[in-house]
Amino acid sequence: MVFLKRQLPLVVTFCMGVVFALQYYVPHPNSELLLTEASNWMIIIGGFALILGLVSLIQLHMHRIQRNVEGWGYSAVLFVAMFAMVVAGIWAGGENVDSDRTLTGYGWAYSYAMVPLQGTMFSLLAFFVASAAYRAFRARTKEAALLLVSAILMMWGRVPLGEYLWAFSGDIAQWMLNVINSSVRRAILIGISLGVVALSIKIIFGIERTYLGGGKE
Amino acid sequence: MNQPDRSFVSRMLHIDRRFIFVLIALAVLIPLLNPINLPIVISREVKSVYDYMESLPEGSVFLLSMDFDPASKPEVYPQAVSLLRHAFKKNLKVIGMTLIVTGTGMAEEVMATVAEEMGKQNGKDYVFLGWRPGASAVILSMGQDLIGTFPQDHYGTPMADLPVMQQMKTLRDVDYAVSLAAGFPGIDEWYIYGKDKYQFELGGGSTAVMAPGLYPRLRGGQINGLIGGLRGAAEYEMLLDRSGKAMAGMDAQSATHFVIIVLVILCNVFYLISRRRKRV
Repeated sequence: MVFLKRQLPLVVTFCMGVVFALQYYVPHPNSELLLTEASNWMIIIGGFALILGLVSLIQLHMHRIQRNVEGWGYSAVLFVAMFAMVVAGIWAGGENVDSDRTLTGYGWAYSYAMVPLQGTMFSLLAFFVASAAYRAFRARTKEAALLLVSAILMMWGRVPLGEYLWAFSGDIAQWMLNVINSSVRRAILIGISLGVVALSIKIIFGIERTYLGGGKE
Repeated sequence: MNQPDRSFVSRMLHIDRRFIFVLIALAVLIPLLNPINLPIVISREVKSVYDYMESLPEGSVFLLSMDFDPASKPEVYPQAVSLLRHAFKKNLKVIGMTLIVTGTGMAEEVMATVAEEMGKQNGKDYVFLGWRPGASAVILSMGQDLIGTFPQDHYGTPMADLPVMQQMKTLRDVDYAVSLAAGFPGIDEWYIYGKDKYQFELGGGSTAVMAPGLYPRLRGGQINGLIGGLRGAAEYEMLLDRSGKAMAGMDAQSATHFVIIVLVILCNVFYLISRRRKRV
């Protein structure tokens, strides 16, 4: 069992890691065929990940309902909504519109329930961002003051009213995006990329094993 | 025993947040109901996408990956409308798809609606591939074998039978791809697993929150242009000389930004006054 749980996954990870790291640099038809096969496998595994996600979601919310955890009613709403959407989807053959481009029941639920609900959740950000900015965006230190001035210049320069009132504000905002923002983001990206490379090497060579579960040995 | 500070400054610093919510709601609603259509300055990054689309000869292959969910519809959907109008106007062969499952309905709707408006025919002038699981694996797989990845289009028609797919084998046959993204998977994945390996030109469109994070890719030439948020969509509508929902929303965005600026300035004025009083 230890072999199946530990050694075999480590061997598979090592072999696949080395083979596909090299594959990128080998344009031979067989190498390309290997990548085609592997990418098809990854799509299939992606499909199974969806099923895994669904099972995990059902387990979590069943548990909440069974134990009468505070807010368990929301879990019940989730099951009702999920069941209704699945039935509507199967009834409509998975199509949002029929041959006349009239909305099916599934399409109706998508267009008039899911889309507005998700849009509403996202739009609430505008209200909470404004409230949070009022309460938290205070010039307590020099650094905070600098951030504050940058934020005001950016908000001013990125909208037509700002550029209408002060034409140069657009150039300032653009300069901040192109120069300051880009250089900082680039530094972060390079840091993340180096971290990813280091972590990948550690995983390929079996140094990092937490993905196997059970922590380090 | 300390008395609670009931001064005007203190009350303003701890103002009921519902007052701020009402201000924001009014800043959005009033300009939407009474637009003044302030002029919009076109940025270089949006113009780059437009110019590249303009430079494509008739019959070139344009791939639009609508990788956004309904939450990002107000910002990114108008970008999809403008890009599709431009592509159909230029008589490009259009391939539409999505990497986000919840975005499939919107992506299908925008493709079908704009195609009908521009008098284009499904299968002949455009194809909608729909969605496949696997995110970055789908991009890799399309790079290796497009028809193998999507044997049928979204409506179940075999891809090999579609006139628009003739001569299309892999992503290497795409002349220009644009990913309209609202997170993962999106522009980064299209660059890493798509453009870098299969050598096609790539542009991007995103929500305003994501746009600053994409500037290193833009400055490094990894994407040739970027349509950022509602503002980017409005700029594209201006370039096409066809106003839409993005231009209509820009006045509301202007007003909201200025309400937040005024609130932040006021809050700091009150904060500085209260700090000075405490010192005294």
